Amino acid sequence: MKINFSLNGKETELDVDPMAVALDVVRGLSLTGTKEGCGVGVCGACTIMVNGSPVSSCICLVGTLADKDVWTIEGIAEKMPELIDSFVEEEGMQCGICTPGQIVAAAAIESVGASNAEEIKKYMAGNLCRCTGYQTILSAVEDHLAVN
Amino acid sequence: MQSTEFMIPTSVSEALDNISREDAIFLGGGTSTALLYKTRMIEPSRVVWLGKVSELKGISTSATTVRIGSTTTMAEIAANREIARLFPGVSAAAGVIGNARVRAMATMGGALAHADPRQDLPPALIAVGATVSVNSSSGSREIPLKEFYEGFLETVLSPDELVTEVSIPIRSNQRSSYLRYTPTSEGDYPTVGSGTSLIFGPDGKTIEAATAVLCGVGTVPILADEAARILIGSSGDDTTLQRAAEAVRNAVDPQDDERGTADYKREMASVFTYRSLKSCLNS
Repeated sequence: MKINFSLNGKETELDVDPMAVALDVVRGLSLTGTKEGCGVGVCGACTIMVNGSPVSSCICLVGTLADKDVWTIEGIAEKMPELIDSFVEEEGMQCGICTPGQIVAAAAIESVGASNAEEIKKYMAGNLCRCTGYQTILSAVEDHLAVN
Repeated sequence: MQSTEFMIPTSVSEALDNISREDAIFLGGGTSTALLYKTRMIEPSRVVWLGKVSELKGISTSATTVRIGSTTTMAEIAANREIARLFPGVSAAAGVIGNARVRAMATMGGALAHADPRQDLPPALIAVGATVSVNSSSGSREIPLKEFYEGFLETVLSPDELVTEVSIPIRSNQRSSYLRYTPTSEGDYPTVGSGTSLIFGPDGKTIEAATAVLCGVGTVPILADEAARILIGSSGDDTTLQRAAEAVRNAVDPQDDERGTADYKREMASVFTYRSLKSCLNS
């Protein structure tokens, strides 16, 4: 089935199984920055941004992306280099597996209007880091929001 | 495996035409459907996605009723100011479900039809008297949400019926609350959740109607009728709240699992109903 959507700012038409999950589809397009973690929508490693909101690509059927505005870490990194800088400067990563998801979630934080430290913490709680370097991740998000 | 036909209707009537096949299913945000499909617990030959049916989306408020369209997301419910003002329990429940990603995708209608008894939203909605509107090609009907559930993942819906909206009556002197408890991660299903509502009489002090509904402690959301009876006629004094919370122990029917033993859940159901009632009184 042909699905049309905007992917990282480019109009895209794909001939795919609409019941495939977005994670497999974007990785199949060599956008391998999006990582699979838990595979059940809990950990946040595979976060993509859809119409400005964070979405777990591992439980997102690609058919439901029709006509939507979809961003992966590759597009976010290009569009928001200052967000990447915040994560680098605050050392908001350790092993790196959760980092693309953390950054995409941070990019989509405007969707919930979180601004103070407590709201940021509540919003980012859905993105797990098993190295448990949470404080530097939160600092990176706070730094990004303070600058922008 | 045969491929699944993916339909994208743009109206309710088209969606109802599309569902006429035996093993077709409606699809809202897809958070639960994707998991069931990935693990091959469901293998529908046709999926009818409701994302383009604009008449199913959105929240409207009149003087007497709040209506929530079935494809409205949890994030949209949690962000709605009228719902936060009128039904703080519903707002709180929608805002704690899963994580921000699930709340951005998951729809109310999908959640209700999925009928997992650990869901946060049903007790909050039942507490404030929500009614489900359902359409099919043979007609429409209204079902009080408290009569909607039949068992684990089972509702009174027939396969061709579509949840179109939920309506909640606006009552003066009503206070409501939802509180959940989970010992695991914040994004997990709760061990127990308690939705409560108190309606006060004209004097503003005497409780005229009360509802306490629990999730996580049975195969369906559980109404604690005895607790409600104890509250009615009282002023919500602490002794009465404790007696009502105590009565919840006998209403629930929990099972041992990784979220706690049955005894522990019974205790937490009582404790969190007490706190939820307190929160009503303090709101």
